[in-house]
Amino acid sequence: MDEKELKNIAHLAKLNIEDTEVSSMLNDFSRIVQYVDEIKNLDTTSVGDDEIYEQIFYELRKDFAENGLKRDDLAKIAPSYENGYIVVPKVIET
Amino acid sequence: MKDLIFLTYSEIKTKLNDGSLKSADLVSAYIKRIEGTDSKVKAFLEFNKERILKQAEESDNRRKSGKLLSEFDGIPIGIKDNICITGEITSCSSKILENFRSPYDASVIQRLKEKGFVFFPRLNMDEFAMGSSTENSAYQTTRNPFDTSRIPGGSSGGSAAAVAASMLPVSLGSDTGGSIRQPAALCGIWGLKPTYGRVSRYGLIAYASSLDQIGPFSNDLQGISDLMEIISGLDHKDQTTAKVNPFEASSVSSVDWKGKRIGVMKSEEFNFSPDVNKRYTEILKELESKGATLVPLDFSLLKYAIPVYYLIATAECSSNLSRFDGIRYGLRKEGAGKLEDLYSESRTAGFGPEVKRRILLGTFSLSSGYYDAYYGKAQKARVLIRKQYAEFFKTVDIIFQPTSPTTAFKVGEKTKDPIQMYQADILTTSVNLAGVPAISCPAGLDSNGLPIGLQITSSHFDETKLLSYAKSTSELEICKLVLPSEIT
Repeated sequence: MDEKELKNIAHLAKLNIEDTEVSSMLNDFSRIVQYVDEIKNLDTTSVGDDEIYEQIFYELRKDFAENGLKRDDLAKIAPSYENGYIVVPKVIET
Repeated sequence: MKDLIFLTYSEIKTKLNDGSLKSADLVSAYIKRIEGTDSKVKAFLEFNKERILKQAEESDNRRKSGKLLSEFDGIPIGIKDNICITGEITSCSSKILENFRSPYDASVIQRLKEKGFVFFPRLNMDEFAMGSSTENSAYQTTRNPFDTSRIPGGSSGGSAAAVAASMLPVSLGSDTGGSIRQPAALCGIWGLKPTYGRVSRYGLIAYASSLDQIGPFSNDLQGISDLMEIISGLDHKDQTTAKVNPFEASSVSSVDWKGKRIGVMKSEEFNFSPDVNKRYTEILKELESKGATLVPLDFSLLKYAIPVYYLIATAECSSNLSRFDGIRYGLRKEGAGKLEDLYSESRTAGFGPEVKRRILLGTFSLSSGYYDAYYGKAQKARVLIRKQYAEFFKTVDIIFQPTSPTTAFKVGEKTKDPIQMYQADILTTSVNLAGVPAISCPAGLDSNGLPIGLQITSSHFDETKLLSYAKSTSELEICKLVLPSEIT
């Protein structure tokens, strides 16, 4: 892992990394990756791809309408809200 | 008369129902205790006296007019800061949700409301439940009531400390890799992680969805059983809740140790502190003397549990926490004015260092070129761990282990080194990976007067057996509850 790769991961995760943080983050990150690398020593060839999903139950709910959250309640928690819409910065560049 | 705050959950329930105790009097006693003690313990992020007292008065009025909601009406309960209650702030101890007031109730809260519980929000935690000490809270570090220079464990440290400090009889927390059991152990109380699928996660702010479960803390076992009966069960708002026979508190009964096969760790694998080692050995000897058979199990897969846990949990967290983007709710930083900048500026300002570390690790292990070697491999390793537990329960009735390899450590002792902090969960994470239920029970104090926890694990959906063994364990002289009467 180098600075370029770290910044790429941070970009994918929508996090900014200050130049002053890079070396300590690289250090932490390399140690953690080295630590989790231990699983490479475990033989998992006996496990089939389909076995991964065994534990999920999926009890589908009935298809009926019910009252969910009200728009007014959601407006209260939005950072910026006008006339029934959440306001965001301009998306289309001119 | 015993001071109200030192009553056990069962004593409170009895007294409320025989009319010898009013909820408002009990709640006032707890409020006084919190006001006098929480400046040292720092379990609460916020507590609104008026709103809490009002609920207790309403409960007393219901009782007076014969409109009681249940036998639990008026019992106080503390709530971890990641479980949504309508109108209350639910911040996950994070700056990104500092002002987020939930517009809805979590399913567990709805079920408790229907029974008339009195809610005490908001209990401190590691930010987004990521940590083992509450030192990752963006607001404050909760202290261990047995020694306030030490941590209470985490991530549900506030929930555990509040009960251990006699500020509440019961509370709710959440457990993704040990976040209920480890603080329960370090604070000397009971804390249970249910079988995955037993309790609805609707309204629990997600960290790692395939591992998270809400569960109870209590100052006696009846509190654990009662809360489990109330909060568990199928919920159409959480598709991963299981259609199984409901858990009933009345199904719990003492076990006869004679002939019981108890799975234990091999003595060469006892990498615990000397006092934990000694107490674990004493408990096993005592069970053997009562006629139980100790069966050493092969826990060699355990050394992979933490790496597997970190890969799976961080991958899920990088996905779950992508919803915090500054758009619909939570912290917004305008940044350079472009949408893309708003996302990254809001997230960079809102998340603390450990949350960022885990999001980055998760993004890395899911990214192109690394997926198969990390996330994919970890998923397969998880299957092996799950199968290992299934094998264990073919040969033993129950498993006994320490909950934590050490007792409570000092504040600041492990914050410099993330990996050392991760090791605190060495005995708890595999339980989440397998999805089985486990409870931490008090097991006396070490030579520094700090609590030791015993972890009991049973097979999927067998909380009845789990709690029956916990009940019989609590009857052993060396596993009696000890709580600090003075907090210094």
